[in-house]
Amino acid sequence: MRLTLKTLAMLLAALLPGAAWAASFTASLDRDALTLGESATLSLAFEGGSPGRVPAPSVPGLQIAQAGTSQNMSWINGAMSATVTVSFSVTPQRAGEFTIPALTADVGGQQLSTAPLKLIVSRASAPSAAAVNSGSEVAFLKLNFPKQKVYAGEAIVARLELYLRDDVQNFGNFQITSSPTDGFSAGKTAELQNQRRRVQVGNRVYTEIPLAVPLTAVKTGALALGPFTASAVVVLPSQNQNDPFAAFRGEQKQVTLATETLNIESLPLPEQNRPANFTGAVGQFDFAASAGPTAVTVGDPITVRVQVSGRGALDAITLPVQDAWQNFKTYPPTTKLETTDQFGFQGTKTFEQIISPLNNDVHELPALTFSFFNPEDARYHTLTQPAVPLTVKAAGATVLPQMAASKTTNEEKPAQDILPIKENLGTLAPATEPLVTRPLFLVTQTVPVLAFLAAFVWRKRADNLANNPRLRRQRAVAALLASGKDDLKKYAAENKPDEFFATLFRLLQEQLGERLNCPASAITEDVVDGHALLRNAPATLRTALHEQFQLCNQARYAPVRGSSELDSVAAQFEKLISQLREVRA
Amino acid sequence: MMANLMAGGEQRRRAAALQDAGAFVVAPFVREASWTAPALWRFCLALGLSLFVFTQTGFAADASADFAAANKLYAEGKFAEAATAYEKIIATGTQSPALLFNAGNAECKAGHLGQAIAAYRQAELLAPRDAELRANLAFVRNQVQGATLRESRWQNWVGSLTLNEGALLTAAFFWAMFALLAARQIRPALAPKLQSATRLAVVLTILSGAVLALQAANHFDSSVAVVTSAETTARSGPFDEAQSVFSARDGAELKVLDRHDDWVQVANNAGKIGWLSRKQVAVLPGA
Repeated sequence: MRLTLKTLAMLLAALLPGAAWAASFTASLDRDALTLGESATLSLAFEGGSPGRVPAPSVPGLQIAQAGTSQNMSWINGAMSATVTVSFSVTPQRAGEFTIPALTADVGGQQLSTAPLKLIVSRASAPSAAAVNSGSEVAFLKLNFPKQKVYAGEAIVARLELYLRDDVQNFGNFQITSSPTDGFSAGKTAELQNQRRRVQVGNRVYTEIPLAVPLTAVKTGALALGPFTASAVVVLPSQNQNDPFAAFRGEQKQVTLATETLNIESLPLPEQNRPANFTGAVGQFDFAASAGPTAVTVGDPITVRVQVSGRGALDAITLPVQDAWQNFKTYPPTTKLETTDQFGFQGTKTFEQIISPLNNDVHELPALTFSFFNPEDARYHTLTQPAVPLTVKAAGATVLPQMAASKTTNEEKPAQDILPIKENLGTLAPATEPLVTRPLFLVTQTVPVLAFLAAFVWRKRADNLANNPRLRRQRAVAALLASGKDDLKKYAAENKPDEFFATLFRLLQEQLGERLNCPASAITEDVVDGHALLRNAPATLRTALHEQFQLCNQARYAPVRGSSELDSVAAQFEKLISQLREVRA
Repeated sequence: MMANLMAGGEQRRRAAALQDAGAFVVAPFVREASWTAPALWRFCLALGLSLFVFTQTGFAADASADFAAANKLYAEGKFAEAATAYEKIIATGTQSPALLFNAGNAECKAGHLGQAIAAYRQAELLAPRDAELRANLAFVRNQVQGATLRESRWQNWVGSLTLNEGALLTAAFFWAMFALLAARQIRPALAPKLQSATRLAVVLTILSGAVLALQAANHFDSSVAVVTSAETTARSGPFDEAQSVFSARDGAELKVLDRHDDWVQVANNAGKIGWLSRKQVAVLPGA
């Protein structure tokens, strides 16, 4: 920035070489008295030359920051003059009298100094009632506390009211610069919605803008609240009659506001009649509790839900220790806070605590109690929820020997230690995968399914055979032929032609009877040409059949033949049988 | 030939005497003729069986001695040493309910609640109806600080049978059902007499199958992480720099939702979900 200013000054010097002879350097404050929280503007004006270096003022207790630079050129009686003005914002850090020392700068080759400036900073104070009533105050701040006496732990909402005179066109940059609340725990200050209103104060009408300051007394004794200070920028109608746009633009004014200091007495909570289970809840509360499940086994969890609802410092409420829960194992409760107002003073705090019965002699969840102090009537109140009946079963067959042994002495005592180790290792087994993941086990389960399917198929085939006499005969003939062929070979080997041809003839009758669907005894050589099925059969087959029949007939009269000839006949018979089976109706 | 036969008989008698004495040796096969396939098969079978019996018997003897030594350490009040001794036996790949029970006791006495619960839970997988085991598990769970996962009623119910017991029971009903169905096919005359038994078998098969399905789902899909360090912090992601979500104390049982490298995603009984390093938990199958 300094470089920029220096460059600018050099540029001006270059443009205005003739202005060097009229150089001057002045410092000025736009106001010489401030209240803490307000700011003043320090202007350093360089006329007739450019500053070699703009001095930076530094005063302990004042925060001085460069705010900007402006330049002005004018011709008066043919002579031109140029002015460069560097502005600083001066914000006091404390009250007191400050002096901005003389500043020296090199302007157009001349060493020039300014005169020292005085600035008086006073603390903000609340305007007097007379000033307020006279309407001379553009804005003022007021702090209302509903009580003169509070109890430690009591939650109260203080009201901070900002009043703006009716001619204030607008306001902005409202900031609370100081909010001393020693002895109180303060929440977030927020405007009370939809509660702005116009009120008559003395001779003027003001707009009241209420803000809420949630406070909880944390100390006892005399407490001082305030003064709260704030600053804001208000827009007032312009007093400049020559400005045609004044009506639109207005005139901005920074105001510093302060409240009175309120003295509050914070009382300790009375010791008298303080309930034993009082844990510091101050306010007006209701209390509800529920528990479930109510039918459990020893060691099972029961969820106890406690709801404290009402108005007060809900954050500080804790679930009181229930002395009657000695037969339960308790776990730290979980909490949930649901507020219904913007300050967190109204709502419901829910505690969920898991407890588990230590033995099955527990028959109820004892009555729950909650105590609080109500500052309105200055009394302690204890709320009680009735006992909840419980059904507690023993943990299955899990009976601890210690517990069993202690039954004669003190049945209600839970186990004090674990049961001793086992002396017998038992059956060692490799740590294997469960059966259901082993392929062999799964494949084995297909065995009964396959057995059933096999039985099912077998049953179907048996039923089919029982209902089909033709098929039955077909199978019987096939079995007969199978054994008959063996007989033929045997007779051939033993050279018994009579038995051989008798068997051959019988087998021929059976096979033809089965094929022609007529009794075997009715089969003679005549059927070869007489039956329709065989008439349509190949001629070679019929010829072979004739030959077989004739051989059987001749055997009754012809001399005994040799084994080789009988073997040959048996082979022809087998071939004939296979041809016959291929004949289709 | 006769001499060979006599020699073979003598060897068999010696082997029988040795076996009676408790030693397991390979049954001697006298090569009276050339090796045939059945003889070779019998030899291999005998060799395999003998080796199996020998190794198992020898190992069981070792494990029993180690178990007794660990029990002695426990009795002397050297619980941490006893726990290490039990762990050594378990590390060999074999286990028994008593071994895991004693390991749980030693861990409990050594102040390692998480390790104790892990051992008891593993023992419970093998012997879910062991009253002493359940008593000790309940006792240790009561010592755990902070909220911990509790099994639901149906999990307790199906957990009263081991998964293998459930599988075998279901298989038995399954086989019985198909045996009855097959008998009805083979002997239709028996069908009226077998009707009630068949229906009962079908119902029991379906019920036991449903229970087995629940058991399997619980076993494979409801893994539990038991915190084994004094206090651990569950993080929002599977890395050390992730923000903490909740903390759990030694012995807290948490439901396993997911796994990623050396991290497991768990949920506590309040429904909060976070990631824990596997070094801080023992991950176990559901009951």
